[in-house]
Amino acid sequence: MIGNLDLSFFNWELVSNFLAKGFYFSIQLTLIAMAGGIVFGTALALCRLSGRPWLALPAATYVNTMRSIPLVMVILWFFLLIPLLIGRSMGAELSAIITFTLFEAAYYSEIMRAGIQSVARGQVYAGYALGLTYGQTMRLIVLPQAFRNMLPVLLTQTIILFQDTSLVYAIGAYDLLKGFEVAGKNFNRPVEAYLLAAVVYFVICFSLSSVVKKLQTRIAIIR
Amino acid sequence: MIEIKNVSKWYGSFQVLTKCSTSVKKGEVVVVCGPSGSGKSTLIKCVNALEPFQEGEVVIDGTSVGAAGTDLPRLRSKVGMVFQHFELFPHLSIIENLTLAQVKVLNRSAEAARDKGLALLERVGLTAHADKFPGQLSGGQQQRVAIARALAMDPMCMLFDEPTSALDPEMINEVLDVMVQLAQEGMTMMCVTHEMGFARKVAHRVIFMDKGEIVEDATKDDFFGKPRSERAVQFLSKILQH
Amino acid sequence: MHLEWGFFLRDIGDGETTYLSWLFSAWGWTLAVAGCAWVLALLLGSVVGTLRTMQVTWVARLANAWVELFRNIPLLVQIFLWYHVIPSLIPPLRDVPSFVLVVFGLGLFTSSRVAEQVRAGIQSLPHGQRHAGMALGLTTAQTYRYVLLPMAFRIVIPPLTSEAMNIIKNSSVAFAVSISELTLFAMQAQEETSRGVEVYLAVTTLYIITAMTINRLMALIEKRVRVPGYVGGDR
Ligand SMILES: Nc1ncnc2c1ncn2[C@@H]1O[C@H](COP(=O)(O)OP(=O)(O)OP(=O)(O)O)[C@@H](O)[C@H]1O
Ligand SMILES: [Mg+2]
Repeated sequence: MIGNLDLSFFNWELVSNFLAKGFYFSIQLTLIAMAGGIVFGTALALCRLSGRPWLALPAATYVNTMRSIPLVMVILWFFLLIPLLIGRSMGAELSAIITFTLFEAAYYSEIMRAGIQSVARGQVYAGYALGLTYGQTMRLIVLPQAFRNMLPVLLTQTIILFQDTSLVYAIGAYDLLKGFEVAGKNFNRPVEAYLLAAVVYFVICFSLSSVVKKLQTRIAIIR
Repeated sequence: MIEIKNVSKWYGSFQVLTKCSTSVKKGEVVVVCGPSGSGKSTLIKCVNALEPFQEGEVVIDGTSVGAAGTDLPRLRSKVGMVFQHFELFPHLSIIENLTLAQVKVLNRSAEAARDKGLALLERVGLTAHADKFPGQLSGGQQQRVAIARALAMDPMCMLFDEPTSALDPEMINEVLDVMVQLAQEGMTMMCVTHEMGFARKVAHRVIFMDKGEIVEDATKDDFFGKPRSERAVQFLSKILQH
Repeated sequence: MHLEWGFFLRDIGDGETTYLSWLFSAWGWTLAVAGCAWVLALLLGSVVGTLRTMQVTWVARLANAWVELFRNIPLLVQIFLWYHVIPSLIPPLRDVPSFVLVVFGLGLFTSSRVAEQVRAGIQSLPHGQRHAGMALGLTTAQTYRYVLLPMAFRIVIPPLTSEAMNIIKNSSVAFAVSISELTLFAMQAQEETSRGVEVYLAVTTLYIITAMTINRLMALIEKRVRVPGYVGGDR
């Protein structure tokens, strides 16, 4: 029962030996996949909105395919395919980073597409009227506004991304959850370890989403 | 029939109603008017406790609305209400809109409810539309259905909250005609409206509200003849210009 | 690359089951996990989402806490909680099959998302609808049952469609607690046959087919319950 829980194994040693490494990787994976995903996702969104079928079609296919496959399967696919393509095996961690960047790009691209479409058409005409090119109009006028409008949604997606990093479990990469699991095995306290993992993830995600909520009201006021 | 005694209401620290007192006798038609935001809708919604209030008392036909033991659904079923935006139930056909509460609240049989509903539809001139859906009717037609829906409960009095202000001008009269007829049949009515023509025709008394207070509560002739307060004079001159 | 599909007809070593029949039984498990969890999520999510719109503050708070709790812990961690933690904290649950535990894990996780959609759906209705129901003498429960929920559910069908498609995808985490569903099949068959590409292609195709079917099904439902004269209805 609850009285049997023994949390005494939770000390600094545990944190530095087992958790720090996993936590560091989870954060690293989240940040790289976010940055890479937003950049690549924005490019995909621009392709889809370009009005040129030879750009829009492949981009749409890419996004829709990624979005219809479970992330775990995508992780497995890349873990299988990357070695076949480059001819040598690659660590689970690096494979995860590549996978998540390419996978999340599909989701970020949908957000950026909505963001770009939320910017009034008149803004584009105003840009052209000033003599800006298509590229300049996008870069200087449309994208900054789209980005600002969509900031809360992008951050919410990043919180989901952070939660999803736990799925690297499928290929055995050492992330935060793995850290807790290994620690649980080592101290023979798996129940407490999983419970603590849940608490830690909850505290992180809940605080981040509270910040996003605040930001959302702030942005709503500015607009 | 309706007694409103010293009712005050706050939204947080903002006071919407300040010590409002008035009454509506059986068979009386009372028109409530006043500038936007003056608390007319809030007051009329306090009458059937759609909005709770912190101070004062509302008594309908001997029953205190705010008292702890009051069976509000039962009380509300005896008070008809018509809303500014009709508020028909979009997923139900017109006849279903009329029968729903008859069956669920008054426990009438489906046939009895349907007969009653059809009779009322005939009365508001919409028999042909019984099986259509609200979204397929014009605003004026929808509001007439809404009045029929309220009448289907055999209410002892009716509350109207700006029933014509969401309507295109050409539809206002078809709704007012129904209301005039009701008034002439002796229905007890409390109407928030800016239709001064309607007030002149059928109202017994006119209440003027401003900033949450009942500023003037006079017979129709007094109100239109010699309004006492400065604010009512200004208000009247504004809306009568059109 | 050279694809080779023949192994699907080979048996897996027990003398009777082929990889193909294993694949289909795994598909069955995926559908079973996702289907049962979806029913649970829909029931709980509707209740919690409805409670969140109640005028009674403590009820709404409790419902909000539910949503925050199940939304802010990764699904895989929640599955582990159900599989490893809860049975050891509550001994009577020790004999519950892992299938049931996974259904609860996935169902409660999804219920928070359903609740969010249902709340948004109810709150998107004009405020006067609630008043109109109450003014006719309907009780709060009747107002929800006959006035608010029928419209709210019509409105949330599109977001619920994507949640239903998500639950199929999310059911893949059941591999982590040894439910023999598609993803676990993919991992094990890949290992045994070394024909990873073919195995993954087959599994991925089944996932996509399932998602498409749900999409069509929900579109059909949406069409069936469409209200004439309402947005998108036939006027
Ligand atoms: N839920 C609410 N929360 C806070 N303030 C409110 C709320 N509802 C109404 N108010 C405020 O109460 C005041 C009175 O509102 P009410 O709707 O009764 O006015 P009204 O006289 O009916 O105006 P109108 O002619 O525009 O319908 C307004 O200032 C309004 O802003
Ligand atoms: Mg009003």
